[in-house]
Amino acid sequence: MSGWHVSGPLAERYASGTAAEAETWSLEKHVETCGRCAASVSAAVRAGAAGPALDGIRAAVLAEARRFPAPVPGRAGEASPAARRVWPGGRRARGEAAGAPSGPPGPGGGHPPVPEGRRRRERVPAAARRAGLSRRAPSRASRPGPGPLARLLWAAGPALRPSWLTALALVLGGSLFLAYGVGYDSTRPLLLALSPALPLTGVAMSYGRYADPLHEIAASTPSGGLRLLLTRTAAVTLVSVPVLAAAGALLPPPATEVLKVPGPAAWLLPSLALTLAALALGSFVGCRYAALAVAGVWAALTLAPRPGKPGLPFFVTELPEWVSGPSPQTCWAAAAVVCAGLLAVRRSSFNRLETL
Amino acid sequence: MTGTGARVMGLTVTHRRAIALDSVDLDFGTGVHGLLGPNGAGKTSLIRVLATVAAPAGGRVELLGQDMTAHRERSRVRRRLGYLPQEFGFYPGFTVREFVAYVAWLKEMPACSVADAVERAVERVGLMDRIDAKVKTLSGGMVRRVGIAQAIVNEPDLLLLDEPTTGLDPEQRVDFRALLREVGTACAVIVSTHLAEDVAAACEQVTLMESGRVAFRGTTAELRELGEATPHDAPDGTVSPIERGYTAALRLHRASSWDPGTAPDTGSGSGSKAGR
Repeated sequence: MSGWHVSGPLAERYASGTAAEAETWSLEKHVETCGRCAASVSAAVRAGAAGPALDGIRAAVLAEARRFPAPVPGRAGEASPAARRVWPGGRRARGEAAGAPSGPPGPGGGHPPVPEGRRRRERVPAAARRAGLSRRAPSRASRPGPGPLARLLWAAGPALRPSWLTALALVLGGSLFLAYGVGYDSTRPLLLALSPALPLTGVAMSYGRYADPLHEIAASTPSGGLRLLLTRTAAVTLVSVPVLAAAGALLPPPATEVLKVPGPAAWLLPSLALTLAALALGSFVGCRYAALAVAGVWAALTLAPRPGKPGLPFFVTELPEWVSGPSPQTCWAAAAVVCAGLLAVRRSSFNRLETL
Repeated sequence: MTGTGARVMGLTVTHRRAIALDSVDLDFGTGVHGLLGPNGAGKTSLIRVLATVAAPAGGRVELLGQDMTAHRERSRVRRRLGYLPQEFGFYPGFTVREFVAYVAWLKEMPACSVADAVERAVERVGLMDRIDAKVKTLSGGMVRRVGIAQAIVNEPDLLLLDEPTTGLDPEQRVDFRALLREVGTACAVIVSTHLAEDVAAACEQVTLMESGRVAFRGTTAELRELGEATPHDAPDGTVSPIERGYTAALRLHRASSWDPGTAPDTGSGSGSKAGR
């Protein structure tokens, strides 16, 4: 290059945004190769009106760089040409402006693109604008990413929605009310009868076009299908089992020997088997109907009065025998395994929308 | 993973026992493809099969060079897919940011890149100033833009948009078409629409569907030429060449497929015959 260098007044005009277009061009071209002038322009810009804002950006960029020490991988990290365009009027984000006059790049190396944002252009000095200045920029540094808790809740999706949690709370509250308020002796066996079926209602609400407003989008993603359904079922189970166990623990001790029922460990396997049965059936008729059917059959078997057996209801007299002891438990485990196998065979049916 | 675009061979789709697509062969390469046709022509059926949410009754589907029968390939393709259904819901409590991030999570994007990708997608649809607003507080057009943002959040290689301009006002449509053209430089975009002007403004290739069959395939310019070459009965200036081309191609198709033995009863109207 020739002996031309950026003069002090030009640097100041540039910093304040009053330099003519032609001057700006030659200055920007020049500072790409001349370190001394780049430094003087940098100093002028930092001393000017844009100084505090630039400091903010620099801090934000550095903070960002420290959050991701390694360059963010591939497509997602670097703004592709296609990513630079913003919607309104097709204006481009200017974060990629070359030769940002704010000193040498930070230690992280990769400047994350700092888009200009959508505001109409206001009187921001030209230099600062080229540096990608925007009022939004500093707040980007503190932008909340999805934390582990959020991702956990996302996994649960619509399964843990308020209505189901309310139902769970009602069962908990209701059984306590029955036991302490009304003094109903058979609360404990009743809770035992309800416990295996309760997670089913959560499963019914967790997947499919009736239950999940996002279903059509979810079905087109790699997470869609059986995996998402199992994740949500697991979430339902993880919430309901401790709650139901706690309800059992809070109930008063049984009054008579007849009313003694096995603890929560006993209904875990039945609950698992019923849930898997609902899922397997769901591969044919959809989760909603499947869960309703399985829960309905279970309720009919356990809660309905039996003719010819007056006195204590079935769930007091016989249900405990169904779930306690090694041989019933083995049967439940076998049933669970069978249902799981059927589910594995039928897994591809969850990839499509039609049945769900 | 080398393939691009989408290809279907002998694709037949049934919808509630009616035939929505009748042995269709199509391929879509890089660029913006318009899928044009009257209601019930089979556009949505085609898009849903391409989005891997609906199963075809017959034929082969190849997306991004992968056959769609095996689970592994399907998952791999789904990671690179963007899909905006005609109708979609959202969880009531979600903000725009959470909604788009949730879909990014479903698409198995690496957690560290999600936050940036979400902002970029939302910015591209011009909703940056509402990014932390609840989705349920937004207008219909804005919700549609949120839908577009979730579709492009993973910078897909195959982008499927079903009636994306519904609910957008004219200015937003113009912006949206610009976005489409730009996305289409790097990947295959398939847009279904019943508006000929959408196609004219944003698409290079047009596929005209009618009663589950392909009525016309070609460039937008070819469709326009067809319209200009066809005498029309409407007063000058009220119908654009592309719309005339649309009508002319439909008429040609109906005339050629009119065979009393095999052709469906097409009648003379433009209503729906097969499909939904």
